[in-house]
Amino acid sequence: MGPSVTADFLNIDGLRKSFGGIHALQGVSFSLGAAGIKCIVGPNGCGKSTLFNVLTGVLAPDSGTATLEGNRISGLNAHRVSRLGVGRKFQVPGVLSDLTVMEHMEIALAARATGGKVWKTLNWRGNRAESLAMLADAGLAEYADKIASQLPHGIKQRLEILMLVARGMKLLLLDEPTAGMTATETQATIDLIRRINQTTGAAILVIEHDMTFVRNLACPLIVMMRGEVLREGTYDEVRADPQVRSAYLGDRHA
Amino acid sequence: MMARLLPTLAVWAVLAMLPLLLGEWELAMFGQLLIYGIVAISLAFIWGQGGLVSFGQALFFGAGAYAMSLTAKGMLPGIPASPWLGLLFAIAAGAIFGALVGGALFFGKGLRTAYFGIITIAAAVIAERVTTNWRFIGGFNGLLDVPPLPLPGGLDSADPLAGYLLVLGFALLAFLFLLAVERSPYGTVLRGIRCDERRIMSLGFFVPIWKVVALALSGGVAGLAGGLFATQFNFVSPAVIGLALSTEILIWAAVGGKGVLMAAFIGAIVVKYMEGYLSETIGNYWLLVTGIAFIVVVVLFPQGLLGRLFKLPTPYRLRGD
Repeated sequence: MGPSVTADFLNIDGLRKSFGGIHALQGVSFSLGAAGIKCIVGPNGCGKSTLFNVLTGVLAPDSGTATLEGNRISGLNAHRVSRLGVGRKFQVPGVLSDLTVMEHMEIALAARATGGKVWKTLNWRGNRAESLAMLADAGLAEYADKIASQLPHGIKQRLEILMLVARGMKLLLLDEPTAGMTATETQATIDLIRRINQTTGAAILVIEHDMTFVRNLACPLIVMMRGEVLREGTYDEVRADPQVRSAYLGDRHA
Repeated sequence: MMARLLPTLAVWAVLAMLPLLLGEWELAMFGQLLIYGIVAISLAFIWGQGGLVSFGQALFFGAGAYAMSLTAKGMLPGIPASPWLGLLFAIAAGAIFGALVGGALFFGKGLRTAYFGIITIAAAVIAERVTTNWRFIGGFNGLLDVPPLPLPGGLDSADPLAGYLLVLGFALLAFLFLLAVERSPYGTVLRGIRCDERRIMSLGFFVPIWKVVALALSGGVAGLAGGLFATQFNFVSPAVIGLALSTEILIWAAVGGKGVLMAAFIGAIVVKYMEGYLSETIGNYWLLVTGIAFIVVVVLFPQGLLGRLFKLPTPYRLRGD
């Protein structure tokens, strides 16, 4: 863990957050390079979701900082963090249930084209061609005119990720993106994540429980435990780590 | 595609030809119905697009009506007695009240959905009390003898034909204005806010501003209707600003269809017309009949009776095929 002066894309330095007596984050530090992908794993209650809430401006940290390209993002309002390029995909599919897929794309593209400003959005003319091109790239072209509530689960999840890409996000925070998916859908999502990473250069941080997903994505892992980073490394390194094993299996044998 | 436009075009064509079919008295009455149509579309816009159920739409309408009356009668110190200036102030008053209600709600921590409705009820009741007790603006009796809008050629809006055409023109303008807004990308984002405002916020839209703007636009159109009301009825009283009219506006929009402007517009005209007819034939039972009809429609047709008929084709840029 380097000092906070490293010129990495995303720098998280000593983040702490408590709720009453519960210390959800106890000094979390790590970094992510430009166009990097890392996967955060850890048992329930280890602070993963609190970390995402802090990184997206939903919660302000008690202490510590998070910076994106040198700009502090911790402690800012949600819409400001978003305008700096941080996008989050929630665990529950977050589509806008009575809107069509094309309307979803317009909202995301409008946010990028107008910076989320009212007057500019009123005067913006839309960008049908780009919506269609992005949907085609992601294999969602056939759903363009469908209402979101009628989409299959896996398609909803992919649409939501696609919205973040259309928004032009530089850092994608994906909270269990394959929860509730079939094996085929999971593989399609892994492919989508890789393609987004390669074509847009967006850095990606994923929270995931599904070990098949983690192994297939083949990216560096961050193991979190009781609000702290326990270990960083590749899938095989982490699996072989006695500390991680005892943490997952229970402390009795340690 | 064109077929979907026909019902809406037919409505405007019929309204434009009414002077050929109706007598003067009926024409004047129909002009008043159009005014209710305008305030109904102002509510349909924020309710159908933004998901904001306002029980206080008459507040904006009434603000417009009073602004019109005070200006046209020359009661505002330092401001010339001008009906046209009054109409401009009516729009401004509606928009300002809309923005104020919106601002108080959305910048005061997270007053959403049901709370928004409750606060608008309270605002309408307060406004009714204040206007009833404020002597300067006429108190309980309101303001009488509000002058008509002068028109070129020595005419004014008290002339049945001229008055009707004037109101029809403003109705068309208000309709086209709100339609343009709801079909712009702003409208798409507003519908997104209706579905899930946290998600829209996380994409970088500062949602409170969007709602305040939506309420100001809606309030401005309601204020225009109020200003036209004052000048066409020649008076204004606390009845135009209170809860009773607010509830009626809500019924018109719900019965016609809150998601489609023209449906709410026709909803207002038909329900108001039926009210007049029923109160003549069955006396005081009209309110009972209207109430039951409202409940039946809302339960059986949540999208209103006319939403499907008047739904316009999706803008080309939002179509996949």
